[in-house]
Amino acid sequence: MEFRISAQYDMARRQIRISKAMLFTWLMLTGLICLFSPQRITNKLHFAFIKLIPLPILNAGLRTLSTAATSQSPTGYVSRRLYIQLENHAANLSAELDDTHKKLETLARLRDRFAFETAAFVVADIITLSINADRQELIINRGRADGLNHGQYVLGENGVIGTISDVSTGTAKVMLVTDTASRLPVKIAASDVYIRWKMQGNGKGGANIRMLPQKYKIKSADIVYADKKPGFLDAPVIVGRIQSFDPDEENPLLWDITVKPVCNIENLISVAVIVMNP
Amino acid sequence: MRWPRFVVFILVITTLQASIILDWFAVTNLNIKPDLLLVVVVFLAVRCRSYDAIIISFVAGLASDLIGPPIGPHIISFGILGSILAHIRGLVIINSAFHQVIAIFLTGLLAESLSRFLASLAGQPMTANTAGIIFGTALYSAVIWLFLGWLFTASFRWISIKRHPIRTIHR
Repeated sequence: MEFRISAQYDMARRQIRISKAMLFTWLMLTGLICLFSPQRITNKLHFAFIKLIPLPILNAGLRTLSTAATSQSPTGYVSRRLYIQLENHAANLSAELDDTHKKLETLARLRDRFAFETAAFVVADIITLSINADRQELIINRGRADGLNHGQYVLGENGVIGTISDVSTGTAKVMLVTDTASRLPVKIAASDVYIRWKMQGNGKGGANIRMLPQKYKIKSADIVYADKKPGFLDAPVIVGRIQSFDPDEENPLLWDITVKPVCNIENLISVAVIVMNP
Repeated sequence: MRWPRFVVFILVITTLQASIILDWFAVTNLNIKPDLLLVVVVFLAVRCRSYDAIIISFVAGLASDLIGPPIGPHIISFGILGSILAHIRGLVIINSAFHQVIAIFLTGLLAESLSRFLASLAGQPMTANTAGIIFGTALYSAVIWLFLGWLFTASFRWISIKRHPIRTIHR
């Protein structure tokens, strides 16, 4: 019995005298040297490759390298630390720009409303948000110095979320429509008629419209608007939609309506206060 | 093995890997693309003589590093895993398409994880969703083998790879 290895393979092994282990070790060492060499040296290999192949078919990443290769100069490099600092600064600026764009967009959208042509919208960021059974309010970072006053309407996501209940020079307190102390004149867009009534917060993230005669034909998802209020609101603005309606416990001839606000307050970052005739 | 042809072949694959052509086949918002060089390493490592397989793995690693800084991580990771594959092919049979797909997927996971780790040692920042990119690339590379396996096989025939010697018993 004998083992035969192909003659060609034998010849090749004889010609190359480096063992497999040695070859592997040398190549590994080469890899490690390349890995820990300064990038300005190893970059030359990238540039050499880029010069080898036609540029138009390269992807965006290599095109960037290619541009660097054609215009490389000692002043064209920055340290990694500085690069990361600049990258972070650029990210911060980008976020700031995005935030400004969003505010501008909000203002532009609001100004589209004809009735509010003479109104000013003061965009404010939310400082704190208190939502519990006793109190549903938020504090915003604009105050009397920005033209804010008691009773002004506050918008979030283009819907009324509350009114200014207290104001200081630099901050203001907004009582949300869901607060039990909130009583807002509203207009329900029922199928056949607009019904003007009062809406009171229920302290559970919604509001109620009570004592509405059952002669009015209302249904779920009917829109509830904050009614016009001279000096504060020139046109109705949506507040919420009818979530449910049941006969009143004390007087079954009257509706007890539950309204769900259109705006999810907890997701809000900023609001807009309507300042009529600033 | 015709080494000049192999060099041409590896240059073509590297150019293809770095080209916008592969960008057209990128999937998901993570821009996951198949790693053609990984496929080459796995296939040649299980087909070639182990001596050639070691050289091929390191060369393919170098080619992979040429198209994405820094130089070094893929040389080491492809080199190690290609050599291991060449070493274990006597123990594990990787002949059927299914076994090759599994081998490409596992090698892709390990090679890319190792190269990312080595790159981080060299001071390269980790990108977001690294795990997702590694998994996606390995999976896509394995899947692409199912569709383009015939093309690779034809190319390997062109570069005349010599299979590792089979010991025969003569009575």
